[in-house]
Parts: sequence; C-alpha cells; structure tokens
Amino acid sequence: MNKILLVVAATVASIALVGCGSNDSESASTDTTTTDTTTTTTDTTTTTEAEKPTEVKVVVVNGSPQGGIVRQTVNKDDQVVLVVTSDVADEIHLHGYDKAKDVAAGGTIRLPFKATIPGRFEAELESRGVQIAEITVEP
Amino acid sequence: MRLLAHGIGVVRDLPIPAVYFYVGASLVLVVSFVLLFALWRRPLLEERAKGQALPGWFGRLVLSGAVRIVLGLFSVLLFGLTLATALFGTTTSLLNFAPTFVYVIFWLGIPFLSVLFGNVWSVLSPWRAIADAIVWLLELRGREARPVLEWSDRWGRYPAAAALFAFVALELAKVSPDYPRTLAIATALYSYWALAGMAVYGRDAWTRGGEGFAVMFELLSRIAPFAAREGRIVLRWPFTGLAGDERTRGALLFVAVMLGSTSFDGFSRTIRWQDLTSQVRAHLADSSHRTVDLAVMGVNLVGLVLFIAAILATYLVAVAAAEKLGGIRRSLIPDFVLPLVPIAAAYMVAHYFTLAVIQGQFIVTLASDPFGRGWDLFGTADFAPNLALVSPQTVWYVQFGALVVGHVAGLAIAHDRAVVVFRDTRRSVEAQIPMLALMVLYTSAGLWLLSRG
Repeated sequence: MNKILLVVAATVASIALVGCGSNDSESASTDTTTTDTTTTTTDTTTTTEAEKPTEVKVVVVNGSPQGGIVRQTVNKDDQVVLVVTSDVADEIHLHGYDKAKDVAAGGTIRLPFKATIPGRFEAELESRGVQIAEITVEP
Repeated sequence: MRLLAHGIGVVRDLPIPAVYFYVGASLVLVVSFVLLFALWRRPLLEERAKGQALPGWFGRLVLSGAVRIVLGLFSVLLFGLTLATALFGTTTSLLNFAPTFVYVIFWLGIPFLSVLFGNVWSVLSPWRAIADAIVWLLELRGREARPVLEWSDRWGRYPAAAALFAFVALELAKVSPDYPRTLAIATALYSYWALAGMAVYGRDAWTRGGEGFAVMFELLSRIAPFAAREGRIVLRWPFTGLAGDERTRGALLFVAVMLGSTSFDGFSRTIRWQDLTSQVRAHLADSSHRTVDLAVMGVNLVGLVLFIAAILATYLVAVAAAEKLGGIRRSLIPDFVLPLVPIAAAYMVAHYFTLAVIQGQFIVTLASDPFGRGWDLFGTADFAPNLALVSPQTVWYVQFGALVVGHVAGLAIAHDRAVVVFRDTRRSVEAQIPMLALMVLYTSAGLWLLSRG
C-alpha cells in the first residue's frame, strides 16, 4: 500500500513540477506578445490604421500552393485576411472558423476573419482536398 | 474535405512548449529509476486485481438481460442511423452524423468509457447485439446455433490486429476518410467481418480474436476500477487488471498497432509530414485526382507501417536485453505486453483530447439533423459548438498529465511482472533496465511528438 502511495505521490509531484515549468513558458509567451503589440502600435501611430489586418497570401499554381504550404502565425484577436490567388477554380475553405468562398480560375478571393479561437487551422482547396495554408493562432 | 490527421476535426492543438518536453522527459527518467529501487519486491498487483465484490443486487442489475437488451437495441439503432446517414445523408462531412459519430463518439468515447467503467463494449457492440438476437431467434425455433468452423488458438489476435489496422489505415492514411460514402462502405465491410466471423467461429471466439474493436476495448477496460466476475461487479485498484502475462498470440502486434497508429497520427500532423505529402501532390500535379490520392495514401501507409514496425522492433530489442540480463532462457515477449496498454491509453488521451472535446460538441447539432437536410428533431440544430472551450494551457496539462500517469502505471505493471519473472531481487533490478528504458523512450517520444509544430 505504501508503495502505491509512493507511485501516486511521485506522479503528483511530477505534474506539480511541470506546473512550475509551464509558468516559465507562459511568462515567456506573454513577453513575446507584449513586444509584438508594441511594434504594432508604433506601426499604427504612423499610419493611423488601427485595424490593419494581417494578410496571409497564398498563390495556387496548378492546383497546389506555390512554394509549399503557407504557414503564418498570428495572435489571438488579430484581424486576419486569407488572400488566395488561384489558377484553378475551386472552393477555398478555412477550417475551424469555417469560412468558405469560391475562387474562379485566375481569380483572387479574400477571406477576412478575427482570430478568436487559438489553435492551428488548415485552409484547403475544398473539392481537390489539397491543403494550401496553415494559420496558427497563438493565445 | 481532407484532413491530415485523425479522420476528422476542425481545430488542431498548438504544439506543447519545448519546456514540457525537457521537463517531462527528464522527470520521467528520474522518477523511473527512483521508483525502480523503491518499489515492491514481491508481486502484489495480481493479488489486488481480485478486488472487492460489490453487493450482489448491483451486479445482477448491471449484468441483467434487461440492461443488455435495452443497450443492445439502443446501439443497433445508432448503428442503423450511422449507416443510413453515411449512405443517404449530405456529403458535407461536418453536416453529416456519421463521420463525427464514428471518429469521435464511438472511436474516442468507447475507449474513455472502457477505461472508466470496464468492458462496456460487451453490451454496447451492435454486432454482438445483432448476433445475440439471431441466436435467440434460432433457439426460439428450436434450432441450435453452432459455429461452422472451429477457432484455432494459433490465430490468437492476428485477425483482430488486421481488423484494427484496416480501421486506422482508413482513419490515418486514406485521403478524405470522413467522406460519408467512404464511411458507409467501411462500416458495411466491417459489419460483414464482425458478423460473418461470429457466425463462422462463434460469438465469443471472434470477440476475443477477430473483432478488432472488441479486443482493443477489452484491453483498455483492464485499466478500469470495475470488472465483471462470476455475475458480480468487483471494485479494484485501477490498472491492476493488467497484471500478469498475455500469452495469446498476436497480442504484441495488436498493442503495437494501437501505439504505432496513435503516434503516427501525431507525426502526420507535423510540418515535416505535411510538407512531404504536399510535395508529393505538387510532383504529380499533372496526374489525375485518383493517382495523386493513391500516391498520398501510399506514402501515409508506409509511414503508418513504419511506426508500428518501430514499436515492435524497440519492444523486441528491450525484451531480448531483459532476457539476457535476467538470465532467462524462455521468451519474455508475452510478459511485458500489458504494461504497454496504459501508455497506449495515454497516447490516445494526449492526441485526441481536443478532438473529443471540440468535435464532440457537434454531435448535439448533428443529433437533430443527422442527414444534413435542415431538420430539427430535438430543437438542438442551432446549438453553436464552442471551439475555444479549452485553452491551449489546459490541453498541454492534460497531454502531459496523461503521458506521465500512463508511464508510471506502465512502469509499475512491468515492475510487478519483473519480480514474478526474475525472482532473484538483485537480478530483477538489472533486468528491468531495458524495459524501463523502453518506456522512457515511448513517453519521451510521445512528448516530443506533441512538441513538434
């Protein structure tokens, strides 16, 4: 019985220890967020565009993303626009946020959204089932 | 709709911060070695697995024929609905009942219930319920239901491992595994496998050796604090049901498919694998759809098989080393299979927690409109799932916690087996080092996979 308690205690201790570890990472991530915000504010004061959205640009050539899957990280609550230029007609679908729009061959579409859900989200050419972008929303 | 990982899902986890990996891996290592010397010297899990019988009326109620019939009917109804929606419902997979039901409610829900409450699949399996009903009808007419062929123990769990592999290949390697018509075909094929197997070899033999889900859920249910024994429900320490060896042939391969598939699921979400499949597509840009999809599926299948093979290979190496260090002349392969079950369960929790919590909510909407035709049967069609329900930090804690608990449990079970096998105490400590290293490897690899972008 004592040995089993020992196992339980060791497990609890290890989880608690990681709790301490995670505090470091949390404070680290808040640090980066603050620096990001300061840079954005310096940008916005000069341009006075408070809501300038982050653009995620994808060019689709021959049914697949040029230069491979486009990856971009944004912060939670950022305004984001997924801009897709495609040489094939398809439906562009952003998962999770569940935004979709048809693009004509040779056309460009814009999918604007506010990054309210943290996580990783795939954008794809719906009918082809080809992933073209991955947008990471940091908390 | 195509999703690289786990069949279905709209939100993917952020990678756990590297610090979790470093802290976790080193902790697991230190804790393991400390425990190795501090743990018991005489086997005590099998003793405890006997547990304490709960009052007789409780067992009679839970295991009664009435409960079986009600649950069986319910399950057959859901099974019928799944098949019907997969066949005739909308082809937009998120608006169809079948994909979310199969990949989330069934595939994640039943393991969860099994770990908590024991072998619930024995009363929830629609195939078992259908087979039971057929036997009952035959017996009513005065005929005897007898297996056509005799089951051979040589087959062990290989047919079940093949069945589970077929399912994980569909889930993880197939392009568009959530396409409802694909699921309809898969469900029909698997039902044929389950029912024909029971008809030919008998219900119990096939449930133990051929029906992949039944074998997997039974293995997971040994973690549970409850078990049914001789018509009674017993309460026991969690994980004690995994004490002892597992001599059924194919058990190792089966567990390797469980572990290998979940870890491949994690790996297939990494940038490296995504880019690989994306490159395959770009290379074949001029080929037909079908060719490209087949090529991607082929690449995924190779990845899946390699992960399962890696689990098998590392296990066999560790066992060979343990045999050598322990001076044991017989094969120890059956002795350390069961300690891998908690690790497999932990992998499942770590990889599927978000999917279960986020995608699981969609079943509320789908229940009201299973075919995606704009119905509102229960007035829940407008329910809006909260995709931000769990914060990334919570997810990381759950993932980390699951892996560490699974690791420590696996370690304790392996230790308990080692003191049975090696007896001589000093030798038993030495001979345990390979198994311990193996588990540290699996846990660290699991954490590493979670920390990859």
